[in-house]
Amino acid sequence: MASLKRSILLLILCGYTAFAAGPFVWAAMLSLRTTTEIHLDHFALPDPIHWEKFPDAWFNSNYATYFLNSVQVVVAAVLIVTIVGAMAAHCLARYRFRFNRLIYFVLFSTIIFPPQITIISLFQVLVNYGLYNSKLGLTLVYVAIQLPLTVYILESFFARIPADLFDAARMDGYSDWEIFWRVALPVALPAVATTVILNFILLWNEFLFAVVLITEEANRTLPLGIQRFIGDTQEDIGMIATGLMIAIIPVVVIYAFFSEKLIQGMTAGAVK
Amino acid sequence: MAEGAETRVADDGLRRPWGTILAFLLPALTLYVALTAYPAVRTFWNSFHIVLPRREEFVGLANYVELAGDDIFWRAVSNTLVWACASPVIEVSIALLLALALYAKVPGARFFRVAWFTPVLMSYIVVGILWLWIYNYDWGPINVALRALGLDHLARPWLGDPDTALPALIFVASWMWVGFNMVVLLAALHSLPREVIEAAELDNCGWGGKLIFVILPLVSATLLNLVVLSFIGKMKIFDLVWITTKGNPLWSTETVSTYVYKRAFEWTTFDLGYPSTIAAVWFVIVLAAVLGLTRLFKLREKLEY
Repeated sequence: MASLKRSILLLILCGYTAFAAGPFVWAAMLSLRTTTEIHLDHFALPDPIHWEKFPDAWFNSNYATYFLNSVQVVVAAVLIVTIVGAMAAHCLARYRFRFNRLIYFVLFSTIIFPPQITIISLFQVLVNYGLYNSKLGLTLVYVAIQLPLTVYILESFFARIPADLFDAARMDGYSDWEIFWRVALPVALPAVATTVILNFILLWNEFLFAVVLITEEANRTLPLGIQRFIGDTQEDIGMIATGLMIAIIPVVVIYAFFSEKLIQGMTAGAVK
Repeated sequence: MAEGAETRVADDGLRRPWGTILAFLLPALTLYVALTAYPAVRTFWNSFHIVLPRREEFVGLANYVELAGDDIFWRAVSNTLVWACASPVIEVSIALLLALALYAKVPGARFFRVAWFTPVLMSYIVVGILWLWIYNYDWGPINVALRALGLDHLARPWLGDPDTALPALIFVASWMWVGFNMVVLLAALHSLPREVIEAAELDNCGWGGKLIFVILPLVSATLLNLVVLSFIGKMKIFDLVWITTKGNPLWSTETVSTYVYKRAFEWTTFDLGYPSTIAAVWFVIVLAAVLGLTRLFKLREKLEY
């Protein structure tokens, strides 16, 4: 009886897994088939497997440009937001001063802002400074939108580092900067890694700010490239699927290596 | 200088090193002021003006008056609110069931947990395109399955029908986020004190009783956090709608975010003032709703204990 119950439960769980993962398996199959084959049967297995569609999308449909733009913008933004955010978080966690909690609260509450409140004026600001339609402009905006979350996650981690550690470092003659760079940051490495991975995925998938701030083909990031591509070739399902897989693969690779870290990052703050 | 300093022994025996503090905070504050605070204030300023590429004109409350009578805006508000209220309920309740299933020590729990989390890692763009295909009228798996079951009359263009488009999109968003909620709940369940649950077992508490009287009250804080989180996310929703329906058909999937975008960057009015007004009003509504929700939950917690 108990084992029957157990197998029914397991069956339901497997069913849900198929529901959650099915669409990606289907997309992966479509990405390896030509559109002509797909139109004959939408659910057949790839046979023969058309690996050549990937280089085709990469070289002939501009995916190389989109991909490299995404890498440039996202890597630069993650790097800057990690350092700038860690400095601020360290400062807020370690030094007592007037306005400390106020600054923390203001930064933190930005997390719930709807993006519309800044996006129109950001467009104006970037146009004014000649940063509209540039990767540098988008990078800076990405740093700004991920800053509150980064400070929030890191501050709570820095705050748990025992003060004795800093006192000892000061005795050893470390300067304030060295204490941050050579003591706090290495100790907080697990939390830093979490924010790096989390920020990377969130920015890799970012669409709204990119669609407003970038219009030029040469500067498009992957989500924009995909959007343009489906606009141009509604019917070419096979090629669109290949493009989707190119966008997904980096995320899947990161997830394969760091799934626990990533889950921690995304759930940080949700559990109290 | 600073209050609270007297009550706390300074870490290092030095006075507050303002120079150091400023050096650590300055980069973050500069970025925050330039690219978040200033734009937000400017949006409010815009909302009292007509903002054309080469000309700005003060119009007082005219934009707000126009907004009050803008049927599309109110349609977008109602769609977004429906979404923001439906999604948390669907997501959190399904997630709770799945989390409980995994909590009951099913073989392969680790695998399930990692697999279910996957959809949330994909962008709304990727997910949107996938579901455009899944909902396709001619060959989408849903309609194919319905026809195979002889339910041809139920097959429809799910995203093209004003009656089903919004529920269909809400379904997609829930599909995406259930796994995330499940993982958070599972973590909360695992952190429950074992003794409490064992005590309930000793008292001959059945599964249902254990769930309602022991487990749910203990994870209620997490549940409420998830509800608020999901609510905030759906109040902002843009990408999924933009890639699938762009608010069509007949404004049935228009959200506030897509409407702001359209008025600012798609309509040929070129005026940034009016969309700023929408953004400003929406900002206040979202803030009020989130504060209201947290206040409500806090109150309930107090009543319970």
